[in-house]
Amino acid sequence: MKALTVEILSTHTSSAVTPHSLAECSKGQQVLLVELSANPAFGDQDLAVTARMKSLGFVPGAQLKVIGYGLFGRDPLAIQVNGTKFALRRAEAQKLLVIPL
Amino acid sequence: MSRYALVGNPNCGKTSLFNRLTGANAKVANYPGVTVERRSGFIQGLASPVELIDLPGTYSLATSSLDEQVAKDMILGLIPGEAPPDLLIAVVDATNLQLGLGLVFELLALRRPMLVVLNQMDAARARGMVIDIQGLAQDLGLPVVASVAVRRDGIEELLKALEPAWAISYCTAEGLPDYSVEVVHSHIQQLLSKHIHQPAHTPAWQNRLDTYVMHPVWGLIILLTILLVVFQAVFAWAEPFKDVIEWGVDNLKTLTEEYLPKGILRDFLSEGIIAGVGGVLVFLPQIIILFFFILVLEDSGYLARAAFLLDKPMRGIGLSGRAFIPLLSSFACAVPGIMATRTIGDPKERWISIMVAPLMTCSARLPVYTLIIAAFIPASSFLGIFNLQGITLFALYLAGVTSGALIAWLLRQRKHSQSFPLLLELPNYRWPMPFHLWMGLRERATIFLRRVGTIILALTVLVWFLCTYPSAPDGATGSAIEYSFAGVIGQFIQPIFAPLGFNWQMCIALIPAMAAREIAVSTLATVYAVSIETGVTGLGDNLAASWSIPVALAYLAWFIYAPQCVSTIAVVRRETNSLKSTGFFVVYLFALAYGAALITYHLARQFI
Repeated sequence: MKALTVEILSTHTSSAVTPHSLAECSKGQQVLLVELSANPAFGDQDLAVTARMKSLGFVPGAQLKVIGYGLFGRDPLAIQVNGTKFALRRAEAQKLLVIPL
Repeated sequence: MSRYALVGNPNCGKTSLFNRLTGANAKVANYPGVTVERRSGFIQGLASPVELIDLPGTYSLATSSLDEQVAKDMILGLIPGEAPPDLLIAVVDATNLQLGLGLVFELLALRRPMLVVLNQMDAARARGMVIDIQGLAQDLGLPVVASVAVRRDGIEELLKALEPAWAISYCTAEGLPDYSVEVVHSHIQQLLSKHIHQPAHTPAWQNRLDTYVMHPVWGLIILLTILLVVFQAVFAWAEPFKDVIEWGVDNLKTLTEEYLPKGILRDFLSEGIIAGVGGVLVFLPQIIILFFFILVLEDSGYLARAAFLLDKPMRGIGLSGRAFIPLLSSFACAVPGIMATRTIGDPKERWISIMVAPLMTCSARLPVYTLIIAAFIPASSFLGIFNLQGITLFALYLAGVTSGALIAWLLRQRKHSQSFPLLLELPNYRWPMPFHLWMGLRERATIFLRRVGTIILALTVLVWFLCTYPSAPDGATGSAIEYSFAGVIGQFIQPIFAPLGFNWQMCIALIPAMAAREIAVSTLATVYAVSIETGVTGLGDNLAASWSIPVALAYLAWFIYAPQCVSTIAVVRRETNSLKSTGFFVVYLFALAYGAALITYHLARQFI
């Protein structure tokens, strides 16, 4: 199982694309999640936030799609993962490092 | 006796399944984490009795809210006096398998007797999904049963599997080692590609709907339109039903007065009980209409979208989109609203939400508002569509909301904290099920009628007694009530309220209104029916004849803020678990009420 994830990642990372945060993606874009990074905005809760996001399906290898934005300043973002839609604030989206699909 | 527990993600249809299995009155919703209370019932249709507990919705055992903590503690048997359930019924939304199975794998590691239910199979089939249930069961090492909780015949197979004789032996053959979340998720992905013959994808119409509903401009227009329609409907649709109830109450009163001999019993029945209770009962249609809309919006999946849209603006006042649901519920009643704040992960945000929840105009205030509005505001139309009375009511709601926003902002200044994640699921749109709307509305109506039949009836009798005894001395010049206990108390506290322009009748009404705001209406009915012999029957006409407009407006302003509700204060005490917070809550709201009424009275006198 682990091999599967690694395989997906390696095929994409081999094209030498630098991962960028999901917060920078535009509406309609489909991306591949490669890493969950730390965000100091969450303080000592950061690890808990990471764990929660993973349990919701935001694990490396997951395909994400930006489906919309909130009222002002493209925040929060509506993200589709594994057929489920979630509302994420920019702070959470910044934790997700992605590459285009 | 065996005890089973339903465990699953929010929005997986767990509560619908609970209703179906127990036939109990549980509120069903589509919003993450509405079930915060311990809900239990007996499964119907089994050979031996089984108690079923509906645990709060949870995504993971690595908890992030109080709600999920309760679910986890129940599963692990950590709650004092609660043995761990004999069987876990893991409910998984068949259209959202990846998320649901994530929790199932966490539960597997606990090695407890467990059964997996694939709920909402009708929706899955409608999307063209074919699920190999047997294969899934084999790989999970657990029985897997399909169900359609929203249909009467959707749980037959599940019922068979739940017979205690064999149900408690469902256990994982081999325990799983403690895999990381990443491994579990790729494992699930493999399971799904092996056993699901058509991948789940959200139906196109849902995505198209979302592009409008969650659009920064269209979404806001839709949201405001929905809110406006709700408030107009509360006023306009309820009217015919109100008229019928009023007609019934009037007839009952006339009958009583005709058939009973003149005396104390006749007055007690017609002026005390019938007039008092009847005066509150007429608001049942409005309360039901309001709850109808909240339930429909919840069940359809719209409320989460509204929370998504409102997250940024609410962050401006120190709250989040998550606080939107508790605050919206508070428009019906602050008690369930405050209890729903348990789904807010950030403790400071939760505390602030509790403090401002009662500023959202609850349905108990409607009787007071509608009475005074009808008496003092002309029913003329405004811009051809809206009527002036509706606009006034809207303004009162708006005053509550803006004050709540301001106070939340002020409170947040003192309690600054680090960011907290939103991570809010936007569930699939679903047609609200008439069965569950019916269950929800019946529950609301029952609660209201029980209040009318108990607290309100008792207080009505008490108030009637206070207003009737002692009777006026011989040769008295004033009306009888001025000599009664109520008159004495009202006159005693009236000086405190004199700067607000309140007369002693208004002061009397405030005392029993502490039990429930709507009692102010029945008290006023009692006080004025007793004290004014004008021949005018309607209470509104009585008020219009004896209050000035500034006084009426000040009274409205008082009711926007005053914590005139013992149940709300009690629930604040329970949910904050702090006397200091409760004291602050009561004092700040009364101070605000007094200030607002004072300003309103004096400003209005300048202009009217």
